Amino acid sequence: MKLSIEWLNDYVSTDGYTPEQLADKLLNIGFEVEEIIRLGEDIDRVVAGNITDIKKHPDADKLSVCSVDVGSETVTIVTGAKNVKAGDTVPVALDGATLPGGKVIKAAPLRGVMSYGMMCSGKELGVDNEVIDGAEVDGILILQAVAAGTDIKEVLRLNDTVLDVSVTANRPDCQSVYGMAREVAAVLGRKLKPLEIKYDTVSCELKPSVDIRDGACGRYTCQIIKDIKVQRSPQWMRDRLRKVGVRPINNVVDITNYVLFEVGQPLHAFDTEFVTDCGIIVRKAKAKESITALNSETYELTENMLVIADCKKPLAIAGVMGGEYSGVSEKTSAVLLEAAGFAKGSVRATSRALGLRSDSSARYEKGVDGMSVNVGRERALTLFHKLKAGKVTDSKASKELVSTSVKVIRTSADEISKLLGITVKSNAIEKILKSLQFDVQNEKDRLVITVPAFREDIDNYTDIAEEVIRFYGYDNIKSSFMPTAKSTAGGMDVRLSNLKLLKTLVSGLGAYEITTYSFIGKKSCDKLNLPQNSVLRRQIEILNPLGEEYSVMRTQLAHNMLTTVAYNLSKKNSDFRLFELGKTYIAKELPLSDLPAETDTLCMAFVGGKETFYTLKAAVCEILRKFALKPDKLEYCDKPYYHPGMSGEYFVDSKAFCSFGKVHPLVAKNYDIAENVYLCEMNLGGFIGKEIPQAKFAPLSKFQAVRRDLAVVVKDEIPVGLILQTLEQADELCVDAELFDVYKGEQIEKGYKSIALSFGLSAKDRTLTDDDITSAMKKILAALEQNCGAKLR
Amino acid sequence: MEESVKKLTAETIASISACKTVSELNDVRVKTLGKSGALTALLKGMKDVPPEKRPAAGKIVNDARETLEQAVSERQKALENEELLRKLSEERIDITIDSPLKNHGGLHPLSIMRNRIEEFFCSLGFVIADSPEIETDYYNFEALNIPADHPAREMQDTFFITENILLRSQTSSGQIRMMEKVKPPIKMLSPGRVFRSDEADATHSPVFHQVEGLVVDKGITMCDLKGILDLFAKKFFSNETKTRFRPSYFPFTEPSVEVDASCGKCGGKGCNVCKGTGWIEIMGAGMVNRNVLKNCGINPDEYTGFAFGCGLDRITNIIYGISDARIPFENDLRFLKQFN
Repeated sequence: MKLSIEWLNDYVSTDGYTPEQLADKLLNIGFEVEEIIRLGEDIDRVVAGNITDIKKHPDADKLSVCSVDVGSETVTIVTGAKNVKAGDTVPVALDGATLPGGKVIKAAPLRGVMSYGMMCSGKELGVDNEVIDGAEVDGILILQAVAAGTDIKEVLRLNDTVLDVSVTANRPDCQSVYGMAREVAAVLGRKLKPLEIKYDTVSCELKPSVDIRDGACGRYTCQIIKDIKVQRSPQWMRDRLRKVGVRPINNVVDITNYVLFEVGQPLHAFDTEFVTDCGIIVRKAKAKESITALNSETYELTENMLVIADCKKPLAIAGVMGGEYSGVSEKTSAVLLEAAGFAKGSVRATSRALGLRSDSSARYEKGVDGMSVNVGRERALTLFHKLKAGKVTDSKASKELVSTSVKVIRTSADEISKLLGITVKSNAIEKILKSLQFDVQNEKDRLVITVPAFREDIDNYTDIAEEVIRFYGYDNIKSSFMPTAKSTAGGMDVRLSNLKLLKTLVSGLGAYEITTYSFIGKKSCDKLNLPQNSVLRRQIEILNPLGEEYSVMRTQLAHNMLTTVAYNLSKKNSDFRLFELGKTYIAKELPLSDLPAETDTLCMAFVGGKETFYTLKAAVCEILRKFALKPDKLEYCDKPYYHPGMSGEYFVDSKAFCSFGKVHPLVAKNYDIAENVYLCEMNLGGFIGKEIPQAKFAPLSKFQAVRRDLAVVVKDEIPVGLILQTLEQADELCVDAELFDVYKGEQIEKGYKSIALSFGLSAKDRTLTDDDITSAMKKILAALEQNCGAKLR
Repeated sequence: MEESVKKLTAETIASISACKTVSELNDVRVKTLGKSGALTALLKGMKDVPPEKRPAAGKIVNDARETLEQAVSERQKALENEELLRKLSEERIDITIDSPLKNHGGLHPLSIMRNRIEEFFCSLGFVIADSPEIETDYYNFEALNIPADHPAREMQDTFFITENILLRSQTSSGQIRMMEKVKPPIKMLSPGRVFRSDEADATHSPVFHQVEGLVVDKGITMCDLKGILDLFAKKFFSNETKTRFRPSYFPFTEPSVEVDASCGKCGGKGCNVCKGTGWIEIMGAGMVNRNVLKNCGINPDEYTGFAFGCGLDRITNIIYGISDARIPFENDLRFLKQFN
């Protein structure tokens, strides 16, 4: 909210406080000043000067040489302007002056004559006729006679500072000059001056009536002002409106706007000529009803929008904007002044639906309290009277659907102190609350507090505690360490600690963790070449996304991972491993009727020349080992974004939970990836919440294992996994079997391969004898032949 | 005889000293002490010495042998040592060359900071709890005392899935779920991902993370809140860090405060980091609103509590000096490698 300090001073003196000090005081009581705007800040060393003499320039026909009295001295100024004469008072930018836009004026010779400054036009000072008459003429701004040397900012009435105050949502009562004045008075310990309410009334033959037909209007009052003289408002009013960012229009409209900013009550003036029988009806719009608003736009209304109407037509969109037809014009002779309370939700919904915002709607959206309807109306009538804008009549009408109830809170200094943790005495509490216009009765340690009507945010003793500490000062809150609290055991559940463990494990496998948005583009599925019936296409859509590329919740992490891989490759990062651990969101049904499953998912990408299917598989197996997972099978993966021959899928309890392999070349192309990328996605849901079995020590064998190598020839299609498994199961002595070579070529028949294996033979309880070894080798060869068709090479 | 032994000894010692290598030394040793060496020949000549002089002559020859053997052995040690030194010096390498560690990995800075914060609060007896990111209106708003016409409920702030289901805009939803299940004493921390309908720019992100803390017990006060947040600020910024409370407003706390930490860069004098104020806003906090306690079936006349919530991303960016809120989501390796 824009708060003019000059305006504020009408109601509380801020003498002795700089704008910064005032901003500091406000911050301490909960109002952050976002900006301190000094009017005329960009104008410096510009004064009123009196032209004492004017001569033709000796060497230039179009220039004149002026002697200008600038107060402290008389300076020579060369000008090309035609509209100045001796005796004129003009703005003079002295040597070293700055003008709006950062322009700096320096003394300089003009065709051989030194000019010690510049006379300014209105435009050069950044002002128009609204600020000062003559500002828009072609040439120099001619001022009314003022003393030579007077600072131009004073002449232009720019000697004010405006604070841009951020007002929290609970304090709509502070969305006005008077509301802020109450707080300022309390924090400075100064007197709050009352609003001037004083006007005479005359009688009037027009008799208005009010009929409220919808609960979104709590109260509606109106009064007739006749003999309206529509004209320009006085300078001071126009200045103030401009300072808060409102364009002055005419005295009638300006008064309503002025009151809106001064006391926070939106008002509207209807030309009585266009209100049938002065009969106001507050109702919901009818279907297909439309209205042309003051901005000359026509709006189609819907049945949930509140309008002000007469018996024939809508006159205004309640709280948002008046109709053009019934608005104040130069011909207006009498107005019906509306001061009403509309529900904030109703005004907001209408304003949003129509895409139409106004100062009035902005104010109503924040909430207007019950009291301000009367205060606002009375203040406006006073201004009509004061400005002689018209004659206030005694013709008025009002309706109230909700009556303002007086809120009383019973608490004690003890209760408040217990919440705050420090002792605040009841007389201190009383003093603070009274400065905020609460009524306080101190009854035997009990405080009976009557809440002023404008404080709709105050409900119970905790709200009172906040008022107290705001003014008592948060600096008085001292650190303590929950002396009354019970001890609790901290920690995290199995799932969270396993997730943490997994992150550490995967980063230990050489991968860097990434973090990406949870929503992705709907078309990401196409990039992954997912078939139309893929379950991953059942994406949860956001009703109001930031754009198509962030419109659905991710069902997989592959898309973001591949996008990140592509991004890194484009930045010339090469040979890297990445992982993300995040949630994927799978809807049970669409549209959502219940909260969807949020599945913890791991995605890894291994990128670069040294990576192979097997380096990725080694990492996957390490994770499986760490979490004691024993997959019951491994199959080639048929997901369309994997290479069909270089990808696998692990199953536990017949459910696939981990797919990994080389990214399909067509999908890699979709992401503009030319490098080899190996991708893994693991659904953690099945195991991440389970405790990892406690490791148990196995006694170390005292008997050395015997290493044996073996080369066998098998058919090409026999997987090495089967051979190793067969080997390990062939004899109980067999341990640590591993592959060390696969050979295909001249020495081996076509369609066959040679597999070289190494394994250990050991027993826990003895050193093996030659017989043990021979017998084990026999068993092994027999098993290999039987299960794999393997022949010793 | 004695003369020739002396001469031989002196000559041999000179040759020993002159040896430059172990093999040269070996040649000298063989030449003098070997089977057909000069000293050995002298010993063989003993048979020509009169028997009564033999013991004395034998002693002379044996002494000479001992002397020479010792000299050889000493020279050998010295030469070996020299050779080792030469070898070591030849092996000298350029130690300024780096061999990058392959397959180094690490956590995202957000995870590192989240872990640190979790550890800190766990040590103070807080339970870490997680809750859904896709939430109902009730948990995200209504139970938190955010009435239907509150500005925070606006479409422009919150992402909606249906009229009643939304992407949570705050982790406070987790507090409600916890308080419904667990009765006081409660000390909990709910870190997690939240969503707001803001276009990404230097200071905003539509996806970010919050860490929300809640304590509910008998006699909990604002001073307790101040105590824990002071400790937090000292732990995460510096030992000199001070905190201050400023009045603010949140529907789910009353009284509500913004918490500022003194600027670590300028120490409170005012600089570009703190925009000249000397303070940096780090979180919102307050005493749990009575209505929120009531909504969760906790008697507000018996229990009080405090809650605080900070932007994990914001804290992370302040601590690491990350200047733009978009950078952590770009996941550029050159960025990711800086924190591990």
